Formats: sequence, C-alpha cells, structure tokens
Amino acid sequence: MPTVLVNPLDERVHQDAKPAPRLDTLKGKSLALLDISKPGGSVFFDRLETLLKERYGVASILRIAKPTFAKPAPDDVLAKIRDAQVHAAIEALAD
Amino acid sequence: MLEPGAEAPAIEGVEFSRPTLIAFFETDCPTCRLTLPYLNKLSDAVGDNANIVAVSQDSDCATEELAKSLPIEIPIHIDRGLIASRAYDPLAVPTLFLVDRGRRLVATSTAFDKAEFNRIARQLCEFSGADVVEPAGPHDGNPESKPGCTSRHLEAESDAAAPPTAVNVYSKRGERAGRVELSDSDDPYEYCYERGFGDPLPVVPPTVVRVERMLAATDLAPEEIIAHVPPSFGAATVEKIAANAVMAGCKPEMMRVLIPLVRAVCDERLDIHGVQGTTHFAAPLVIVNGPVREQLGFASGSNVFSNVARANSTLGRALQLMLRNLGGAKPGEIDMSTLGNAGKFSFVIAENEEVSPWEPLCENFGVDSSRSALTLYCCEPPRGVSEHKARSAEVLLRAFCPVLANLWSHRTCLKHEALVVIGPEHVATLKHNGFSKQNVIDYLYENTGIPLSEYDDDGEGTQLTDHYEQCVIRGVPCYRKFGSPESIRVVVAGGPAGKFSAVLGSWQPGKRGSQIVSYPIDSE
Repeated sequence: MPTVLVNPLDERVHQDAKPAPRLDTLKGKSLALLDISKPGGSVFFDRLETLLKERYGVASILRIAKPTFAKPAPDDVLAKIRDAQVHAAIEALAD
Repeated sequence: MLEPGAEAPAIEGVEFSRPTLIAFFETDCPTCRLTLPYLNKLSDAVGDNANIVAVSQDSDCATEELAKSLPIEIPIHIDRGLIASRAYDPLAVPTLFLVDRGRRLVATSTAFDKAEFNRIARQLCEFSGADVVEPAGPHDGNPESKPGCTSRHLEAESDAAAPPTAVNVYSKRGERAGRVELSDSDDPYEYCYERGFGDPLPVVPPTVVRVERMLAATDLAPEEIIAHVPPSFGAATVEKIAANAVMAGCKPEMMRVLIPLVRAVCDERLDIHGVQGTTHFAAPLVIVNGPVREQLGFASGSNVFSNVARANSTLGRALQLMLRNLGGAKPGEIDMSTLGNAGKFSFVIAENEEVSPWEPLCENFGVDSSRSALTLYCCEPPRGVSEHKARSAEVLLRAFCPVLANLWSHRTCLKHEALVVIGPEHVATLKHNGFSKQNVIDYLYENTGIPLSEYDDDGEGTQLTDHYEQCVIRGVPCYRKFGSPESIRVVVAGGPAGKFSAVLGSWQPGKRGSQIVSYPIDSE
C-alpha cells in the first residue's frame, strides 16, 4: 500500500509579480513617498526629498504616512497615492 | 441616502409584500464579504416570512464568483447600471435597508457593526413573526466593527465594476486538500522535510488515515474555512488544520482547541500580520484556562514554558506550522526576526488556577471563568524574576519593577505592555499579605519608572520625554514606565518549588499594533 499524504500547505500557485515599468528619468516627475511611520522617518524623508529635488530634478513630492508601521497600509492611504496620479511611488523605510 | 420613513424604491424582482431586508454590497469589499454570511444565518431564521435580498453593485461574473466562494445563499439582484443604488443612495457598502410590510423604510445600517447588525436582525424577526436571533455573536473570529467601502455609484466612473483583485478573506468554503502519493523508495519523514511541510524538526507524516482520524473529532466539514492566515492569507480549512495538527503530534481531541485558536490568531485585533513580519522577538503566546486543561492534559506547573506536556507542545507547534504553511511566514523570507524566539517552535502555557487566589486571565478579556478559554498575547521570551528572601508583598514586588522597567528599551516609556507570570511561591507571599490581582498591578504600575538621571544622551526613548509622566519612586524622580495599570496583565503559572516568576514584554500593543484576545473553547 503506497503512503498517501494530505498536503498541509497553502496550495495556491503564486506567480511572481512583474516589476512596474521604470522611469526613464526623474527630472520633472512627481513622486509619492510612503512613510511607514517608524520613529525618525520624517528626518529621513526630509533628506530624501531634498536630494530627489536638488540632485535629480524631481518636480513634486507627495508625502503620505501609514497610521502605524505595525499594520498594512489601509485602503484610503493607497487610494490617496493612486488618486494623486504621481509618476512613481516609493514605499520607504526608516528606523 | 434614503432616510427611514421613505417609501422603498422598486427593485426588479423584489416583492415588498413581506418584511424585506435589502443589503447593498460590492464583490471586492472586505466588509461586505464579512457581512454576507450573517445574512445567510438570518435568512435561515426568518424563512419564508421575510425577504432578504443582496444587491450586487458589480458584474454578473464577479458576483457569481463571490456567491459561489462565500457562499451567498440568499437571492441576489445584480444592480446593472446602478439603478437601485442611485435610488437608495447608500454612502458606503455594505448598507442594510429594512423595509416593513407597508413598503416603508424603517431602519438602515452602514458598514459593519455586530450590535447594529443584530439590532436590524431583531427587528426583521419581530416584523416577520420569527423567533428573535442575533446572528453576529461574539468570538467568531470577526471584528466587532469594520468600516465599509464607498458605494459604486459615488465612485469615479472609471472605478465602477473594477474586477476584484484582493484575496477573498471572508470566503467560508474552500477546496479539499491535495493528496500526495509517495513511492516505496520515499521515506515519509524525509519527504515532509524536503517538501517544506514543517519546521526543521521531524514531523508526523500527515497520512490520509491520521488526518481522517483528526477530522472525525469535529462536526465541521473538511472544506470549511475557519480563517485565512495572514500575511499570505492561505485558507485554514478544517482539513488543513487537521493535517498540520497531525504533523505537530496533536491528538484528535485537540481539534476543539485548534478551531478557536485559528479564529483567535487571525482576529484582526491580534494583528498577526504585523507580528509575522517584524524583526522583533514577538511570537504569539497561548494561555489556556478552564476545564480543558485537565481534560486534554495541559501543563500549568513545573517547566510550564518548556517541554513538559504533549498538549502544550503539540498545540503550540500546530499553530506555528499553520502560520508558516498557510500564512507564509517562513524564517528567512517573510519572517525576518533579528534573533527570533524559541517560542516559534511552541509557546503554550496553562494558568495554574489551582494555586491562584485570583480570577483567571480569560475573565479579564471577557470570557466567563466557568468556561475553557485560550488567550493570545504576542510577546518576547520570558525574562526571569528571582526573589528568595522577601517576606512581604511590597518587598517581593520590588524585584519585578527593574525587570519591567527594562522592557523594550529601558528609556522608552508608555508604549509597551507586560504580562507578569507569577510563580506559586511568590503567589503565596502575595496572598499572605491579602494582595488582590489589582493590588499587584497597581503596585507594579506605581513603582516602575526610569530615573530622570538616565536621560543624559540621545538613546532610544530620550526624544519623547515631553510625552512622559514624571513621578517620584522611593524619593527618586522618574518617568513612569507604563501608560496605565491596564498595560500590565497578571497570570499565575509554574511549579510548587522555587521563588521565580517571569515578565514577558509586548510587541507594539493596542489598536495600532497587537491587542490581546481571548476565545472560549467549546465543551466536549
């Protein structure tokens, strides 16, 4: 009698998501920076924003924060990024 | 939105000759998916004496798929062109509209709230002459309330009828688990290891015979989904729970604990999603109360945190296997904890209620002390407290304060919680001095602080002192460690010999992190 096992795993087939198309240039683009609300995040993002604008010519930056780093971004936070129609978004970390 | 008192607008195919409950929903709205199964229950209660109609704001295809997966057992009207949606004008979904026999709108409820839902359910039962039911009971794994989504007719045109992309985390019917036939040359133990069925220790191969034995211990259907396990949201069907329980070494009678355990660990308040992704030490600790301790052999005495009893070790291991196999939290992938936690093999204790002079822990979280229950608390490993000479409660408790003061980072105040596990010999001292559980908590709260003199550089916690509360503890100016006495929880456990206790620090607690949850365990 062959041994037959019951599969204990999640059997869904996961497919790798394709990375979003990359921008040819940052110059003149609008970006969103998602602050996950870790302590010190604002310091990090202030510097990042300055560098993106001064060094790479980014036109505008939308700063948005999750209410807590301990949970996924709620729908309204994601909707704000989507509705802002920015060219790219960066989900950045800081600690 | 249509207000009570108005005449209910027509909906194709709906007769208003009976009391009618109309529920607007979207197929990709998590709150709608949470609400619809309660309408199935309500429909069973009122039978033919009332209409319950679900109005879908999405396409036939998306609606049919959701109806099959949840399932939705009540009649569905697909609101093509959002005609009914514009007439009733709900601001969000789900929205319930209760209509009496005279076609008059008498009540509405938007989004999900158990108390609100039950209020509408009671009214519908009364209108229809059915026995009154409250379908949205406590401890079923669903939150007390949850915000809804904007109604389709109020969304921008391009968003209407967008295809659902999210995992349907509220579906209740899954697939049967796949079968794997091994060849004669396969060693079942090695096969399970190589396929990544378990943790690095050998597992009991989940043969069909063993899993069926486990399934025979419950009345639930094998394909019923108890919860979807974050962060990957794999479906914990009864059969998958049974297979993982077999691998962990559980006996079949453990199924009655495993079912509420899976509900509890996926309760949104516990935020296992965040716990599985953190670099912190946190792991879910299970604390068992009530008659089930003796019935299934849970240890609450000596060595309670270690390898002392099959019930403790196998229940905790089954939970961890499910978090890994169904939730996807594999070490080195989603679980990137810096140092980890030995509790990720198994982390289950029972309260030593026999030596405790106080109410059991589950009663502090809403489960009656006469019932069996499990409580989940996400925390770091135990930190020991040793005090062998103290003869009074105050002197004894002073030994706990420096350990509590060091939780998380010693100069970070107000943000974290603690579970204090008090050993029987220490309990005896506290009992001798007439200390109630609340007396213990109040003493620890009042006497745990960080001296102001510690804040002489820019280390963690020093930037937030404007928010801290100053106090004086034994003549020393301090910042108070805890935000309130409720940040400290007390449980009694451990063996009769040894003046030892333990403190377990929380991960991010509260509504912005992980909250403690207690679930009742059904009797045999």
